[in-house]
Amino acid sequence: MRIDPEKCISCLECIDYCPMKCIREGAEATVIDEKECVECGVCLRAGVCPTDAIFMPEEAFQYPRSIRREFSDPGVQYPTLKQGGRGTEEMKTNDVTGRYRRGEFGMALEFGRPGTGTRISEIEKVLKVLLKMDVEVERNNPVFLLLKNEKTGEMKPEVLNEKVLSAILEFKIKENQLEDVVNTLRPVLDDVDTVVSWGLATRFAPDGTLPVRSRLAQIGLPARPNAKINMGMGRPVVEA
Amino acid sequence: MSHSLHRNGTTENLQNDYTFYARASRFVNREGCGPKLRRILEIILAEQPVNFGSSQAGKSARAGLDPKEYAQTLDKAYGVACCFSGKEALKRALVKLKEADTGISIVAGGLIDEITAVAEEIGITPHTAFLSLGIHGKKALLPEEEVLEMTTMCGHGMVSFNLARAVIKKVQSGEMSPEEGGTLLAQPCPCGIFNSDRCEALLRELREKTS
Repeated sequence: MRIDPEKCISCLECIDYCPMKCIREGAEATVIDEKECVECGVCLRAGVCPTDAIFMPEEAFQYPRSIRREFSDPGVQYPTLKQGGRGTEEMKTNDVTGRYRRGEFGMALEFGRPGTGTRISEIEKVLKVLLKMDVEVERNNPVFLLLKNEKTGEMKPEVLNEKVLSAILEFKIKENQLEDVVNTLRPVLDDVDTVVSWGLATRFAPDGTLPVRSRLAQIGLPARPNAKINMGMGRPVVEA
Repeated sequence: MSHSLHRNGTTENLQNDYTFYARASRFVNREGCGPKLRRILEIILAEQPVNFGSSQAGKSARAGLDPKEYAQTLDKAYGVACCFSGKEALKRALVKLKEADTGISIVAGGLIDEITAVAEEIGITPHTAFLSLGIHGKKALLPEEEVLEMTTMCGHGMVSFNLARAVIKKVQSGEMSPEEGGTLLAQPCPCGIFNSDRCEALLRELREKTS
């Protein structure tokens, strides 16, 4: 995003809207730090600029900078994936896709969430560790498109320093891998230069319970009391 | 919409906060799903959600999205999102959706025990849960908990920490009402799952603490 200095009257109304805290008062006009801007468009959509000085510059559409907008603005669709948002359908449609079966867990590590943003290099650090384990990385997630080497987790060098509001590493593990995966990932996550929100998708047991909650508590990673739940109303159901 | 998953809060203040998402699958039933999504929208609107919207529409009800305008976007969309402030409203919507049997996947967010109790009461069997295992990494980057409780209601991160801080300050000084604050903070979230009622309650609580 950019502010036209000829139009800006330095009213500062836009500053607080920036999720990345990268709009500041300049000597003659309000300015956006383009290194930190993730092209989410919040400042523009807020509609608070009285002189329409905020605009999306051409550079925002040019690769590799274009990935900032694709990952940060939920209204933008990925050209190849034909979907918006930052992740996939994950468990939202699991009743009709059968993506996560009993005996498996889905995992989602969302880098930069909540509200800090992330460089792609931070994701690479974790992905390189993850790929040494026997896990199934989700190929339909846009992060997969940034990979240079699918086996090592090396990202394309030109995207490493791009910053996005958040990006999600999605993968699937077998139920018996839970403790190993958690214990391996925790120290790696402690070392990244951003925050990571961690999610786990699981099927309900036939008796309507979620046995993984007690397992998570036992390994010191308790699940929050709130969650999102696929209500099983999609048709046809793949696995009842 | 993993973005409805990681709402910060206490068991107390997460009560009366329910997200709702109807989602067609790209691999199964997205083709021609517009009429079904419109039927779902009709059902949820009858239960008076606090907020609704979509990234395709580009804005939420709290930012001025008209239901007719929303309905028109659904031929090019694949989901309908909203939030409710009452368990009974969510329950009524689910009962009607069960009867409508659209075949579109339905996801409800909120306290696990409350959602599963609703499901049992109305005779549906929850299929899959997405649990939040909390925030990891460089937590020093995070703001105060009261800010996170508000901003995480937009999981896409569209509501900035500083906007929440500014609104809290204005509400505490009497420059803005909690209701106005809740509405203002809901506006950057286009998906319409930012619960402005809950935000208003959180703001009111913070104002009372300082008075």
